[in-house]
Amino acid sequence: MRWGMVIDLKRCVSCYSCVITCKEEHFLPPGIFWNRVLVSEKGKYPLVTKHILPVRCNQCKEAKCVNVCPTGATQQREDGIVWIDPNKCMGCRYCLVVCPYQSRSYYSDECEYFRGKGLTPVEKIGKQLYPHIKGAVEKCNFCMERIDAGLQKGLKPGQDRDATPACVISCPATAMYFGDLDDRGSDISILIKEKKGKQLHPEHNTDPSIFYLDY
Amino acid sequence: MIQTKPYEFMTKYTPQREWIEGGGIFICLAFFTIELGGGTFVFSSIFDSLVGMVIGFLLTGLGTIFFLVHTGRPIVFYRACLRPQASWISRGVIFISLFLILAFLHICSYLWLSPYTALMIITNIIAFMMMIYAGFAMNSVNSIPLWNTTLLPLLLVVSGFWGGAAITLATSMATGSFTAIAPHIEEYIRILLIIFMFILVVYLLSIRYGLPAGQVSVKEIIWGRGKALFWTFVVVLGVAFPLGVVAYSTTSGIEAISRILLAVAVLCELAGDFTLRYLIMRNAFYGPLTPV
Repeated sequence: MRWGMVIDLKRCVSCYSCVITCKEEHFLPPGIFWNRVLVSEKGKYPLVTKHILPVRCNQCKEAKCVNVCPTGATQQREDGIVWIDPNKCMGCRYCLVVCPYQSRSYYSDECEYFRGKGLTPVEKIGKQLYPHIKGAVEKCNFCMERIDAGLQKGLKPGQDRDATPACVISCPATAMYFGDLDDRGSDISILIKEKKGKQLHPEHNTDPSIFYLDY
Repeated sequence: MIQTKPYEFMTKYTPQREWIEGGGIFICLAFFTIELGGGTFVFSSIFDSLVGMVIGFLLTGLGTIFFLVHTGRPIVFYRACLRPQASWISRGVIFISLFLILAFLHICSYLWLSPYTALMIITNIIAFMMMIYAGFAMNSVNSIPLWNTTLLPLLLVVSGFWGGAAITLATSMATGSFTAIAPHIEEYIRILLIIFMFILVVYLLSIRYGLPAGQVSVKEIIWGRGKALFWTFVVVLGVAFPLGVVAYSTTSGIEAISRILLAVAVLCELAGDFTLRYLIMRNAFYGPLTPV
């Protein structure tokens, strides 16, 4: 089993729902993004094209971050999800430097969203439900808590909302799909095959688990 | 710090920041002082300079402190040696720890035992391993062409030895052993300086004609935001001035050179060495994620 994602770039409208939902789901501190939507332009007026690219950790099969971590904080599960144990992370940021996609964030500055005004009720709840450790590195983990909880209830990730990553279910344009890459009959495997899904910068030899359509 | 909007992140060639901006400067300092400490210890032990060995030991200790300051959670630092099979930082922590223990024992036993013992040989081997780990840690970052070359560890080791030889020369002036060892150290400095210049030129040329992100890096170092530091500290003070002093000593003999001039040459070399490392870390560019 290898969890993966397919992102259809023709459907993505850069509404940032995935970014905000991720922030909400994991109570991310200010300045920390596990999901990003990159917008770039090519050409000169009036012949300008806009390129939108939603990015997050690619959960690479050949993850360089796993190899370089000196403390063993960055680990890869059998289902392919690369996750960080923040209690083991010493914050050397070697993983952050070595990631070719720069999908990691270093939590250095513990501050509230409204500086000087104290924590909002949501932030207070977040500190209890999903505490972030200052001085550690963090990143997208494909909402592994949702996947694990869903599997325990007999749900299917990618099909049942409660077992699927938050960004995937929040997308109003249904531009994202989630499933098992090792299952040739899964929706995402069929999509990758039929629509020739491409990985981001395959020259880095990381074998990412996220494929893009119409890249 | 370069301010970018969140949606512009990695849409252009982006410099690495975590190992140079803010608290990240401490890892640059750590790599520099540890390599310098290793080089100083090696040369001081070869030329029988106890003061030099102590300085090498202290520099390595200082580098360790810098590394601890850089980490976000130093309380978990003890875990850093757990993965030597895969992580160069793990290997480096092991080498540094071994070096500090062995160097301390060697320095303590120096007064009672012969200076050239098996302990000295093993300590010097560990010192060399300690000097190479930083270069290989950076070399294993495939996505930064400026770092992903075998010439980088070679460049850093040679500059570490060069700096170590220079510090050993400076300590010989302070301890009164200048006449005995300076002519010999000066030969090593001459050779290391020439090798350093050669490797630096080949390194910059190989990156300049390599991958696009590497080309951007070299352009920024030589003609871009790093040009003032590069031409002033690296080329003029770090290479040209010591080269002039070495050329003069070759013709007139090192003892004919004023001690103050030699001390200034040592300081210039160290400043140039650190500045080069700083520029290599500050102008390490990633290729953009979006199509260029």
